Amino acid sequence: MARDRAQNDDYKGPLKRLLIGVLLLCLVGIFLLWRIDSPRVERFRAQVIDRVVPSFDWAMAPVTGAVNILRDFQSYQRLYEQNQELRRELKKMKSWKEAAVQLRDENARLLDLNNVRVDPRLTFVTGVVMADSGSPFRQSVLINVGARDGIVDGWAAMDGLGLVGRISGVGQNTARVVLLTDTSSRIPVTIQPSGQRGLMVGDNTLAPPISFIEAPDQARPGDRVLTSGDGGVFPAGLVIGRLAEDPGGRMRVRLAADYERLEFLRVLRSYGYETIDTPGDLIIPLERAPSSTAPDEAQSAQGDPADG
Amino acid sequence: MAERNTTRLFVKRLIYVALWLGLVFLHLLPIDVARPSPLSAPSLLERIWTGPDLHLAITLAWVLRRPEYVPPLLVAGTFLMSDLLLQRPPGLWAALALIGSEALRSRAPGLRDLTFPMEWLNVATTTLAMFLGYRIILGVMMIEAGPLSPTIVQALATIAVYPLVVGLSQLLFGVRKLAPGDIDGMEART
Repeated sequence: MARDRAQNDDYKGPLKRLLIGVLLLCLVGIFLLWRIDSPRVERFRAQVIDRVVPSFDWAMAPVTGAVNILRDFQSYQRLYEQNQELRRELKKMKSWKEAAVQLRDENARLLDLNNVRVDPRLTFVTGVVMADSGSPFRQSVLINVGARDGIVDGWAAMDGLGLVGRISGVGQNTARVVLLTDTSSRIPVTIQPSGQRGLMVGDNTLAPPISFIEAPDQARPGDRVLTSGDGGVFPAGLVIGRLAEDPGGRMRVRLAADYERLEFLRVLRSYGYETIDTPGDLIIPLERAPSSTAPDEAQSAQGDPADG
Repeated sequence: MAERNTTRLFVKRLIYVALWLGLVFLHLLPIDVARPSPLSAPSLLERIWTGPDLHLAITLAWVLRRPEYVPPLLVAGTFLMSDLLLQRPPGLWAALALIGSEALRSRAPGLRDLTFPMEWLNVATTTLAMFLGYRIILGVMMIEAGPLSPTIVQALATIAVYPLVVGLSQLLFGVRKLAPGDIDGMEART
């Protein structure tokens, strides 16, 4: 028996070694290809995920449901405290709501008086979280909307409360959302009310730090953190969270989005901003008019002929 | 007899694939999205906790026991799919897993006669070398790899869980070493 196997190895050996060599070459080749031409391979990955993950869905839903029920069950234990807490918060919120309604009315009146044109409201597509990437090294989730629903790379994803991440990788029926906590996530932010600009850098923890603040002493814990819209990736003014100071004295963001329970995500449709790239043309007098010294006027805003 | 052997071979390979699918499935479940927050001062354990790479442990255990159950093509294919599904750099971990498993496969006949601790030592060095190589290649290629501590913990956890994986595969799936005088068809009858 043993000799048989040895003889087998004698003629099978080189062939096997060749197979392994070819396999190894293929794998290393894929890796290098990914390193060189990442977008194409990532698109391929999106297609693979698009094909594979939905077929897990029938099994995933019940298991996830069961785990969530278990967690809910644990939280029943402190139901009373939670109830009290919620009542207190509700009282506070009621007064805030009153203030908010008044402010909204006032704001609407003022906008109307000034004839201000506000950005069109962002519309959104809502998707359900299907799967997460499953490793502590990459923070991303898969949602069940994709190119079919018009999702485009780079759009912002929010849950009801705040920004969650950015679309990166779109398949036909699925899309991947890279979370703000991922190590490759960099989001330009403004800190209100001081108006400081900064960059929120994902570092694999639930509270990403903020770097490149212009005047760090003006940013205080509790300040609101919003997207700044710099770089044109995200619309400006999306809520991210609040500043907090970690034990080491570094500014971090307490995210508004509920990362413990990412269930439904809204993907905001944003078609980028129109940029003004011409320096402004001369206004040439109409043909009919006799040529005279027309005043040179720089036309600054294009595309909106109705003025007032 | 021969037919029975081949069917059993394919059943075992199917079991391997099923185990892999189960592991990927568990990884993909959207229940563990949140990472600990540094604001609430997490314990060290919370900050660096990662599970073992069970797929690797199973592969190495099976390669040392019954190399024919986990042919290189299967190892490469499953690891490549894991790479794609779990957002790792595609191909790198698969290539390392192939190298590691092949290294152990070539050493398997020698290790068969040694005690379990020696085998464990071999597996441990191979695993550590793989994780180390992974980090080094990621570093050289300038790919963002996140903090180092979870990787170390993952390697150690994989090594620690190895005896358990070996025991379970022997108990549940009958993947045990060939004893001297053991004919391949023996277990099928019991």
